[in-house]
Amino acid sequence: MNANDHDNRLEEVAAYAVGGLDRDQVADLENHLAGCKRCQEELRWLSPAVQALPEAVERQAPPPELKQRLMAEVRADAAADERRARTEEHRERAESRPAIGEWLRGLNIGGLTWKPLTGLAVAILVIAGGIGYAVGNGGGSGGAHTTEVPVAANGIGAKVVTEDDRGELHLTGVEQLPKGRILEAWVERDGIVEPVPALFAPDQAGRASTTIEDMKDVSAVMVTREPAGGSKKPTTEPFVVVPVET
Amino acid sequence: MPWIGRKDPEAFEVFYDRHGGVAYSLAYRILGERGAAEDCIQEAFISIWRSGGKFDAARGSVRSWTLSIVRNRAIDVLRSKAGKAPKMTFDDDEIIESRPADELTDEEAMRNETATEVRGALSQLPDEQSKVIQLAYFGGFSQSEIAGMLNVPLGTVKGRMRLGLEKIRGELAEGLA
Repeated sequence: MNANDHDNRLEEVAAYAVGGLDRDQVADLENHLAGCKRCQEELRWLSPAVQALPEAVERQAPPPELKQRLMAEVRADAAADERRARTEEHRERAESRPAIGEWLRGLNIGGLTWKPLTGLAVAILVIAGGIGYAVGNGGGSGGAHTTEVPVAANGIGAKVVTEDDRGELHLTGVEQLPKGRILEAWVERDGIVEPVPALFAPDQAGRASTTIEDMKDVSAVMVTREPAGGSKKPTTEPFVVVPVET
Repeated sequence: MPWIGRKDPEAFEVFYDRHGGVAYSLAYRILGERGAAEDCIQEAFISIWRSGGKFDAARGSVRSWTLSIVRNRAIDVLRSKAGKAPKMTFDDDEIIESRPADELTDEEAMRNETATEVRGALSQLPDEQSKVIQLAYFGGFSQSEIAGMLNVPLGTVKGRMRLGLEKIRGELAEGLA
């Protein structure tokens, strides 16, 4: 390329910088720029002049409504992003939570695997995948946290109220127990099922409650029917399982 | 602009407060209508908000990046309106800084100084050089189109454009020296 040819290139660089290069020449010049240090230098030198052009324009005050409209759209965008992120998080958590049947079979109950007992007509109140149970702060009870299972097909409703590390389990719709049987609650903590010491029984209205002294790291509360005096390990499948948000 | 990645509306509001005024002025200068300028700014700033951090600091300041987005969008609007001629006023009487100096930050004051230098440089340019630069930058016309509009050879437009830009750049360099 001779000197005259390169002067032409420099003129193209000026036009390119100010946005006036013919569109069919832009790609050709950009190819040239990639390998020509002199033209790169010229572009770098001229750029501040082009960037200063809008600063010299007469100032017009944008209407306040423009900012309001813009920020409304931005905030709506941000809220939608947040909702999407929350939904995604819930979906991932639901997917990572095993199906309740698998979960029960995988539980380590004092070193034993929970084996379904055949012939027992047990109605298991199971709420899986974060759907069907409500979690919230109890009204006016400070840091109380409530996990509530609505009444299921077996007519039993369950509620776990946690405050600090203490919890209370409340059941409704529980059938009267046959003689020699008692209700026993269990907590699942770090994959291990432990008995809750306080045994309990339903009243005449079918309400039954017990206290769980240590709710720390508990991920589920379950209830079984056990022989009077309770058991060290569950002997029946739970008829109530309440997943607890930790 | 880390706030773009964070999608922080409060930070974006600050960003708009800093650059929205000059951006709107540029859009209005190119489009010549308030409504069109508002639409242009809304679209340009939303595209920045949603861009997810495409800004490359190595290629210039945030402000020049923002203004180039606004300018490109405004030129696109102008081109989509077939037959619309660009607004071609750029005289000293029209270029006024409306805000009082005591409201300006140091950064804004420096920009005002730059603006004053550019206005000075433009006012000293021969009219034919100033015109081709304005037609290209604010009108979005190519050199060939400008040659046709002004009825002068293409080579003449090329020469005027380069000479004019070199002079403005020279004035800025002197101001910075």
